[in-house]
Amino acid sequence: MSKTTSADDLKALLDAAVDGIVLIDRRGIIQVFNRAAEGLFGVAAAEVIGRNVTVLMTENDGGLHDEHLKKYMDTGVPQIIGRGREVIARRKDGSTFPAFLSVGVVEGSEPTRFVGLIQDLSDRRWAEEEARRLQERLWQVSRLATMGEMASGIAHELNQPLAAIANYSQACDRLLGQPDADIAEIREALREITGQAVRAGEIIRKLRGLATHSDSESEPTNMNRLILELADLVRSSTKVHDIQCDLDLGHDLPDLKIQPAEIQQVILNLVRNAIESFPSDGSGARRIVIRTASTGQGDIEVSVSDNGPGVASDIAPCLFEPFCSSKDKSAGLGLAISRTIIARHGGTLKYQPNHPIGACFIVRLPCSCT
Amino acid sequence: MVFIVDDDEAVRNSLRLLVKSVGLPASTANSAQEFLASYDPAHAGCLVLDVRMPGMSGIELQQQLNQRGAVIPVIFITGHGDIPMAVEAMQQGAFDFLQKPFRDQDLIDRIQRALEKDRLSREELTQRSRIRERRESLTPREREVLDLVTSGKPNKIMAADLGLSQRTVEIHRARVMEKMGASSLAQLVRMALDLQEPQTGAGK
Repeated sequence: MSKTTSADDLKALLDAAVDGIVLIDRRGIIQVFNRAAEGLFGVAAAEVIGRNVTVLMTENDGGLHDEHLKKYMDTGVPQIIGRGREVIARRKDGSTFPAFLSVGVVEGSEPTRFVGLIQDLSDRRWAEEEARRLQERLWQVSRLATMGEMASGIAHELNQPLAAIANYSQACDRLLGQPDADIAEIREALREITGQAVRAGEIIRKLRGLATHSDSESEPTNMNRLILELADLVRSSTKVHDIQCDLDLGHDLPDLKIQPAEIQQVILNLVRNAIESFPSDGSGARRIVIRTASTGQGDIEVSVSDNGPGVASDIAPCLFEPFCSSKDKSAGLGLAISRTIIARHGGTLKYQPNHPIGACFIVRLPCSCT
Repeated sequence: MVFIVDDDEAVRNSLRLLVKSVGLPASTANSAQEFLASYDPAHAGCLVLDVRMPGMSGIELQQQLNQRGAVIPVIFITGHGDIPMAVEAMQQGAFDFLQKPFRDQDLIDRIQRALEKDRLSREELTQRSRIRERRESLTPREREVLDLVTSGKPNKIMAADLGLSQRTVEIHRARVMEKMGASSLAQLVRMALDLQEPQTGAGK
């Protein structure tokens, strides 16, 4: 004959539970308070039994709770019963913690009693926050990496206007030393110098635009304009590698509500992948095409296609997963990050082989128009 | 004439002004193809050429010119600074290689030297064709005599080799000297050596 009673069994069960378990009557008065709940709330069961459960909640939640309880008792329509929700729970010492509360009715109880399960969400919250923080950092590093890789192309782009300025100014110097100097010609040259200085400034401005932190707000953006802004920077990279880069921009594209810097980051990433896909000693006309088009269903598609070797069949399945890379020195995160950025904008990033040869990556973004 | 080929308009025009400022005529093209389309080997001058251009690159243009046997000196300019490409260009016979941006004097010096070199090459070519013409004007027998004389054979041996009298050989020899316009044996030998010189590539 067992020496313990079923009441003892119940107590053992309650105290073994990881989550806090609280039993209340129809007025909200606490009747049972398990050990886990004591630990969560930093209070002994004896101190809370007989008191309203709202002492364990913040004022806001407490008020809501009374309302819900009354409403259920009056109407029988459950609000959170059977479902549960996130709440801010309050400990005895006044500190709060995020918790998940599930409530159930004790079947057949007369008068009605409720049981609540309380789950501490603090750890999970912290982990989510940490993951978000690391992801932000990763995007920033990726952005800087993109800029770094474009450096040689940008250096070349800056060399052109600088060379032109040097040539023009030195030419002017010589021309002015001649007895019959053509002043109009010299003036024209000086204007060209100004123009070239502005050109160099533009290139720097675009580079700086890339460097801004992506805490920027979403704004209505015209995709074609965004790509045209990138065009100079893209071309400087492609030119260095003897790749021809063409733009095929669609007409009448609706504006998208996006974070421009992030989308530019994705496009640059795709272009960079395309550039790197070409073998270094290859020959033949290398071409990358950036296309924009309206899908007719209110979405916009931006595609980056190349006529390189394409994606190897053994890489294709895990293409968008982190650390899947065909390149030695690449961490293999670019496409994973890009896909996440696009997903955050409510869009998709997909791969398909290009015909007759090469790779094509397609970004699809929903229009913000309602 | 200084031929300037660069796909960047600002660089092209500024170079043209620079060349003009030292009193030299300049002509520009915005691509290698455009230049080739209107290039005439009879045009004296030098070529100032960007290494990387869309379509046909500077290096490819150089190869095309080499294939056509052109001798125009080529000065490469580049915004990239790649050493392998510079080495390739020089091996293919480029006259020189400069990085943008450069000091005007550096480019102008090279242009002047290239133009001088082109002038000398052309003179050499005309000289050589003149000598060739003269050789063509010799009779077959006279040509035989020319070859034997310039290989150092004395009249007596030549007579024996050709089965002629020494007197006949002497007459042939005199006519050869006259037709070739040589005033001494040494000069004749030099002419013969000039004719044997292999053709050189563009820019060398």
